Amino acid sequence: MTAAASSDADLISAHAAGDPHAFPEIVRRHRDRLWAVALRTLRDPEEAADALQEAFISAFRAAGSFRAESQVTTWLHRIVVNACLDRMRRRQTKPTVPLPEAGPGEPVAPRDHMAERETRLVVAAALAELPEEQRAPIVLVDVEGYSVAETAQMLGIAEGTVKSRCARGRAKLAKSLGHLRNRSADANVPVDGVNVQQQRQREAR
Amino acid sequence: MSGSEGRQGTPIDPPWSVDLLADLHAGVLDAETDALLRPRVEADPDARAVLEALDATLADLSALPPIPMPRDVALRIDAALAAEAQGVPAPVVSLNSARQRKYKRVGWGASVLVAAAAAVGVFAVVIPNMSNHTEGAQSAFPQPTQSRSAQPPAATQAPADEKPGLTVKGQNFGPIIGDVLKMQNYGPLDNQETLDGCLKGGNIQASKPLGVSPIQLDDQSAVMAILAGGRGPGSFRIVVLDPDTCGPDNPNGVLADTVMAG
Repeated sequence: MTAAASSDADLISAHAAGDPHAFPEIVRRHRDRLWAVALRTLRDPEEAADALQEAFISAFRAAGSFRAESQVTTWLHRIVVNACLDRMRRRQTKPTVPLPEAGPGEPVAPRDHMAERETRLVVAAALAELPEEQRAPIVLVDVEGYSVAETAQMLGIAEGTVKSRCARGRAKLAKSLGHLRNRSADANVPVDGVNVQQQRQREAR
Repeated sequence: MSGSEGRQGTPIDPPWSVDLLADLHAGVLDAETDALLRPRVEADPDARAVLEALDATLADLSALPPIPMPRDVALRIDAALAAEAQGVPAPVVSLNSARQRKYKRVGWGASVLVAAAAAVGVFAVVIPNMSNHTEGAQSAFPQPTQSRSAQPPAATQAPADEKPGLTVKGQNFGPIIGDVLKMQNYGPLDNQETLDGCLKGGNIQASKPLGVSPIQLDDQSAVMAILAGGRGPGSFRIVVLDPDTCGPDNPNGVLADTVMAG
């Protein structure tokens, strides 16, 4: 089998049939996106690496029983997200390590201007402040671009729950990112909320 | 439902809470309430500003750049998968005898053997202090049943920061490879510099290990390092060092040196 030309489902079948090159090819195809999900969910590179290692080993072992009821990517994401959530539940009392947005492997694009990088850091920091039950669906839907239906499958929750958790998370982010000005008529907007947009504008001057 | 409320008491006149507007924005509301509320919200400048703020938030999130997996993590995962794949019985040859075969070019028979071994991965084992005992086939890794059933994913085991002691009998490194790959604990070697010195003593060139941890090897304190193998994806090298004696001038400080092809 020519691994590079095969579909994910073909590769899973080949893996189940004993092809030693099939599963590593699946991993190579999807590992960057899964790394981003794990890193943005866990906010700790070491934890993300451990979670991914565990998830890929679990997937390797379970691939023989994979049924094409969902896409391979959805199945893999679900395993990775579950590994991440398991770790998050276990470490609830431990502080998170700041995510190195420009750490090893981070591409430095020509248009990677200081202001854009600052914005990314602010957004990443705001994302990190969300409760985990909101952060995971926001990462999958709004950052990684998965549909609500796919995300519901990955997280094992109802589509309506994904929507409502995204809605709550986006509202919090809109406030912490300074997109949402305080409104006297709205009790849901914190009076002491930090207006990051204003802060960024001041810093840019 | 009153004249100023939608289903489930949703107010249809301003002011609306941010949470309600976020629900509308995310499509959480039922179709009837959505249809009732949306034109009113669009007509209200304050409410429209909230929807625009939510749009701007989505734009910020979708603009976050991709994060490629760092090379060391990719190598580590390749190695872990290769170790898992090696749960099937694999031929084991001494690294010394493999080298001798390579140079002697003994003919097609050996080539077929090597090719067959490569198809499932090859363990090449060198034990400097025991080289006379490692010629021939000796399984350096566990049989499939040991590898697969005795070591469920760590996610279902003890918390990551509560690792039990890592113990190896003989050359049965398989059960602890996954755990060592998750660690960067130099133990009695203290740091990368000391590790480099010990590796140099065994004439082993390596950069930062994929994983390193103190272990007990046959009841002897030791340090196990897993190094990128350099033989393609998934290949790696396991080196076990005696922390009491290893150093740049002592090849005998290397207790075991195992190369695994992916």
